[in-house]
Amino acid sequence: MPLALTVNGEVRLSNAGPMTPLLDILREEFQLTGAKPVCREGFCGACMVLRDGRPILSCLTPAGLVEGSDICTIEGLSPGGTLTPLQDALESHDAVQCGMCFPGMVITLTHALRRTHDLTDAEVRQALVGNICRCTGYERIVAAALAIAAAHGPEAARDG
Amino acid sequence: MSIFSPLVLHQPASISEAVALLAAGGRDCAPLAGGTWIMRAPIRHEAPPPVFVSLSKISALSAIAISEERVELGAAVTHAALAEAVAGYPDLQVLAEAAGRSANPAIRATATIGGNLCTTSFPAADLLPALLSLDAEVDLARSQGRERLSLEVFLERRAALVPGWLLTRVVVPREAGRSAHARLPLRKAGDYPVAIVSVAIRLCERDRVTKACVAIGAVETVARRWRSLEAVLLGEPVDPERAGAAAERLLYEITGREGIEAPGWYRVHVLPSLVRRAMAGIAESLSSGNSRPCRSP
Amino acid sequence: MVDPADTVMNFRRRDARDKLTGRTRFTIDRFPAGLLHGAVLRAGVASGILRKLDVSRAATMPGVRAVVTAGDAPGRIGIGIADHPLFVVDRVRYHGEPLAAIAADTFDQAQAALAAIVFDIAPMPAVLDMEAALAAEAPLVHPDWRSYEVLFAGGARGGNVAWEATAVRGDVDAAFARPDVTIVDSAFRVGRQNHVAFEPRAAIAAFEDGRLHIETSTQVPWTVRNGTARLLGIRASAVRVTVPPVGGGFGLKFDLAIEPFAALLARKSGRPVRLVNSREEEMLTCLFRENAEIRIRSAVTKAGEILGREAVVLMDCGAYGGEQIFLTTMTAHTLGGNYRVGATRLVSRAIYTNTAPNGAFRACNGVYNTFALERHTDEIAAAIGMDPLAFRRRNVLGDGALGATGQIFEGDVLGPMLDRMAELRADAPDLVPGDDGRLYGRATTVGTWFVFVGPSAATVNMNADGSATLVTSGVEIGSGSTMQALPQIVAGVLGIRPDDVVVRSADTDAAGYDVGVGGGRTTVSLGAASLKAATEVRGKLLAVAAAMMDVAPDDLVMRDGRIERPGANRYGYSIAEVAARAQALQGPVAGTGAFTGQGVKAMVGCAAGHFLDAIDIPVFAVHDCDVAVDRETGHVEVLGYRVVQDVGRALNPSAVGGQIQGGVVQGLGYALHEDVTIGSDGCVRQSGFETYRLPLAGDVVPVAISLYEGAPSSGPLGTKGAGEVPILNVGATVACAVANATGLRVQELPLTPPRVLERLLGRKPDLAFPHIAERWADNLLHPHGQSTGSGDGG
Ligand SMILES: Cc1cc2nc3c(=O)[nH]c(=O)nc-3n(C[C@H](O)[C@H](O)[C@H](O)COP(=O)(O)OP(=O)(O)OC[C@H]3O[C@@H](n4cnc5c(N)ncnc54)[C@H](O)[C@@H]3O)c2cc1C
Ligand code: FES
Ligand code: FES
Repeated sequence: MPLALTVNGEVRLSNAGPMTPLLDILREEFQLTGAKPVCREGFCGACMVLRDGRPILSCLTPAGLVEGSDICTIEGLSPGGTLTPLQDALESHDAVQCGMCFPGMVITLTHALRRTHDLTDAEVRQALVGNICRCTGYERIVAAALAIAAAHGPEAARDG
Repeated sequence: MSIFSPLVLHQPASISEAVALLAAGGRDCAPLAGGTWIMRAPIRHEAPPPVFVSLSKISALSAIAISEERVELGAAVTHAALAEAVAGYPDLQVLAEAAGRSANPAIRATATIGGNLCTTSFPAADLLPALLSLDAEVDLARSQGRERLSLEVFLERRAALVPGWLLTRVVVPREAGRSAHARLPLRKAGDYPVAIVSVAIRLCERDRVTKACVAIGAVETVARRWRSLEAVLLGEPVDPERAGAAAERLLYEITGREGIEAPGWYRVHVLPSLVRRAMAGIAESLSSGNSRPCRSP
Repeated sequence: MVDPADTVMNFRRRDARDKLTGRTRFTIDRFPAGLLHGAVLRAGVASGILRKLDVSRAATMPGVRAVVTAGDAPGRIGIGIADHPLFVVDRVRYHGEPLAAIAADTFDQAQAALAAIVFDIAPMPAVLDMEAALAAEAPLVHPDWRSYEVLFAGGARGGNVAWEATAVRGDVDAAFARPDVTIVDSAFRVGRQNHVAFEPRAAIAAFEDGRLHIETSTQVPWTVRNGTARLLGIRASAVRVTVPPVGGGFGLKFDLAIEPFAALLARKSGRPVRLVNSREEEMLTCLFRENAEIRIRSAVTKAGEILGREAVVLMDCGAYGGEQIFLTTMTAHTLGGNYRVGATRLVSRAIYTNTAPNGAFRACNGVYNTFALERHTDEIAAAIGMDPLAFRRRNVLGDGALGATGQIFEGDVLGPMLDRMAELRADAPDLVPGDDGRLYGRATTVGTWFVFVGPSAATVNMNADGSATLVTSGVEIGSGSTMQALPQIVAGVLGIRPDDVVVRSADTDAAGYDVGVGGGRTTVSLGAASLKAATEVRGKLLAVAAAMMDVAPDDLVMRDGRIERPGANRYGYSIAEVAARAQALQGPVAGTGAFTGQGVKAMVGCAAGHFLDAIDIPVFAVHDCDVAVDRETGHVEVLGYRVVQDVGRALNPSAVGGQIQGGVVQGLGYALHEDVTIGSDGCVRQSGFETYRLPLAGDVVPVAISLYEGAPSSGPLGTKGAGEVPILNVGATVACAVANATGLRVQELPLTPPRVLERLLGRKPDLAFPHIAERWADNLLHPHGQSTGSGDGG
């Protein structure tokens, strides 16, 4: 029986086995290449997607375990290409360099900002323990998240 | 697409179903909890067994019950859920820190207690020393029945257990007054600790230690109690400096594990400092709150 | 002419949105129809003789479409010396060296087929470090080294010494013999560093209309084109290389990598082939920043004058010469930089070992030579009892100073930059050591780097709608140069908005030759070519507009998308109108530009075996940091970090700031966390992110930055490269600060907690290098100036 996965609001079928990492199905079958395979061992966060609103590492998640869950990938966060307030802040802070880590960064911070609206600098850094960036040195990413936390409060973060 | 694609995954809804599947599968079958260890098999150049039995649909395994006497934790409780549930209990502080500071947020939200305790080849597991310091026990289920073992005995036996067993529950007696977990990663966070010291103590009215449990993790191949140090702490007040000095004198008992990230001598050498830090954490908890041992938040 | 001020702005990069929304397609994200998947079989020993390689069974496995081995690619490539075959021919020289490659319908099938290849390697004695390689009677990594084709003459070679470059100026013996000098002798060692570009090396190769098309994650499309052609034995013009957005480079992708494998498989199978390195392959065989060993001695007067200096720098090139052959050149400009020195003699030697080949990494060679030089400088200051900052102020390079090869530096730059750093520090809160028992320290260091100029080409096409298209071989590796600086330059010249400049992504069929994106050269070399091309377009448009308005071209200005007469009534035309008119009258307007280095002079006879005798555009940096050291565990925490960087002119200060923050953090990784060690089997032990620790958000601090503008530069509009240099003196600064905090003689990087604690406990003696001869001259294959290019040094 094919796997039925709900991805970005759509039910999609995959013929891969249930132990196949979700990441591979998203990228190679569904052409959703936003999530990146970088370490495949849980340390870098580049492969993150939201499962029922919470970040998971799609490289370590057997696809069979997420049947019945809502999977939201980075592509699904900003349908039509409209930036969320967080993505907007990252852009205006000129935070992006090579860009490989950003899908995961956005997923983690979106969730962190939804959970707590008044994030502190230390909390942002703790939230990012599992998201590595090799290019930027992090500061602008942290600054953008703090700007969202400060400027928009819980409401904006909820959409963000 | 990957070495995982041909594998079979069962998702039973009850413990009995799960142990039946495990018994039938024998060596070719293993429980799948959070998967954060299993899914890294290719990185370790290991071939995963062909059949997995997922624990995620078994609600009993995600239950947490905290009473005056004990804490009962389902084996599939995640690190994040555990950290949240025990936050604020001074006697369970060691668990809150072990579960709340290990790995990274996404791993903590996925990796389970059972996975942490059952991964035989993982020396740096945070929950092991934490639960050892609390004298925890584990429940094992098999198709033939159940069995309760002290965590220490389980650790001795786990590598040799005949396949078909499932760790279902961890039971933590609430006999400690205060506890603390000192872990040392090489960065601020995010990597495996190179050494861990977990301490749980009980104090009498005159603020003397009447019961002390110290466990070390990551230093040797498996976490264990440090009984000679416990003996020294007994009958004394909580004194981080003295505890550290005592640990210093007992280091000869420990041979550190060589590793890519740290040499064996290093893991041993930092132990007194971790003992001091753990004891300082306890001292601070004593001075900041109710100075008597307490069990509720 | 163009007012440089028109090109300065914090223009936002246009690729950010797609990168933030996951829509950017890097090479690893491309899966064209009909694709095959490639995989490479690698040797599991460090040294051995390949006695048997049988691919016959593998070739018949399900899904397999092509198998290639050494017989399919007989040539050798290299920088300076052609010593590197694509596959093991008969001799395995490092753990991980390719034996064969397979393309199959699925990746799993390719992997399964790899396992079916039968081979037999007879292990041979291996030399795993430079001490072993330089020992008497050491086994040779390349017994046939004499027979290799020499691609660039001049370096001494012999046995396990792949290349030797010397720089000698003045009478060093006389300086050391003076009675009034203190002689300071220092030794240093650094490990390798892995780039960990987040996108691994990846390529898709296909034959299209009889030509090879390679889509690849590279910094050097032209090197890929020419090198792949050489290995395949086809004409370079039969290869087209295009480059999608690159997910990080840092020098990793400054050389040919896996493209030839994909190309061979595509040729043999007749299908497009995708080849992507696994993270483990990247961790074990990336072209690391090389490990190095350095001995440096100086003769200094009580007053602090450096009368003489000599150094031996050993650079491990791994099994093949590669980039290190070239990088021996850099010692003269990095270790030989920073200070005015009387007489100097420096030798840098690239040493073959049976380990994975090393390569280029951001500020190659500079980071460890700056570490060595700056720590040595602190040791000198201590030896003569002078304040280290005062010593630096007294001696830093200034106008007219002589470099190690006799080049004459222009302008006082480092001195004023030290003043600027003093101001920056004054703004910072004073460091108050807490009562946490940690040891606190700070340090200020200086560094000298350069811009790797070299050929670049650009074309600007003016479109009738008022937009311009810039065509270059520039690659976007993440630094933003092609997204920010280049369109800003073109827009500034043409008086249009940078949004109206389309930048064509690199395609060797579309643009002229380019050395590649790296060496801090994009803004300078590609920028200069783009500036020329745009200026030609500007001239043509002005001429047409002048005719339209019946005025002289010199009477017109180009601004805000218009060509007009200066003055309030703004009489004139939009650029689109002029471009459309020009197109109708004489055909579309285009301009071309080309650039290469001007070739600054060195003193005759100073440099031997050097690829560059002098540096065209020096770039200076001053760094400063505060650290706290935990004496119980050896953990070093960086509490504050400050950078004053010589940028010439910052076209996009925000972009430069981003490069500095990122570069400093990569440097913190190098200084403190990122350790590469090699096991007794010759394999790198850090195979993934569990053991190779990159800095995380919690390990870093915001860098306080001051851009120093106005130093002389032959770059376009006075620019210099800004992306490479930020990492240059991070290792040096952290090391000096840790030495100051602890009183230890810091000699090694990275300063991981175990390494720091070992020194704090006095468990590790000072470094000693038995393989570096006491007498400087005894380290040379030939006396300086007598080596020949024919390679008969042995
Ligand atoms: C990036 C990263 C960082 C990490 N950092 C830390 C850290 O700092 N500290 C730390 O302690 N750990 C750390 N870990 C390890 C992590 O905690 C373990 O991977 C995890 O505990 C395993 O739990 P799991 O539920 O994912 O187990 P799984 O991967 O599902 O299973 C692991 C093993 O346990 C067996 N098993 C699981 N549950 C049971 C059961 N109930 N009964 C019998 N057998 C069972 C499985 O069959 C398997 O053999 C890290 C992991 C990653 C990926
Ligand atoms: S790829 Fe999944 S965490 Fe790195
Ligand atoms: S921007 Fe390159 S990894 Fe973060």
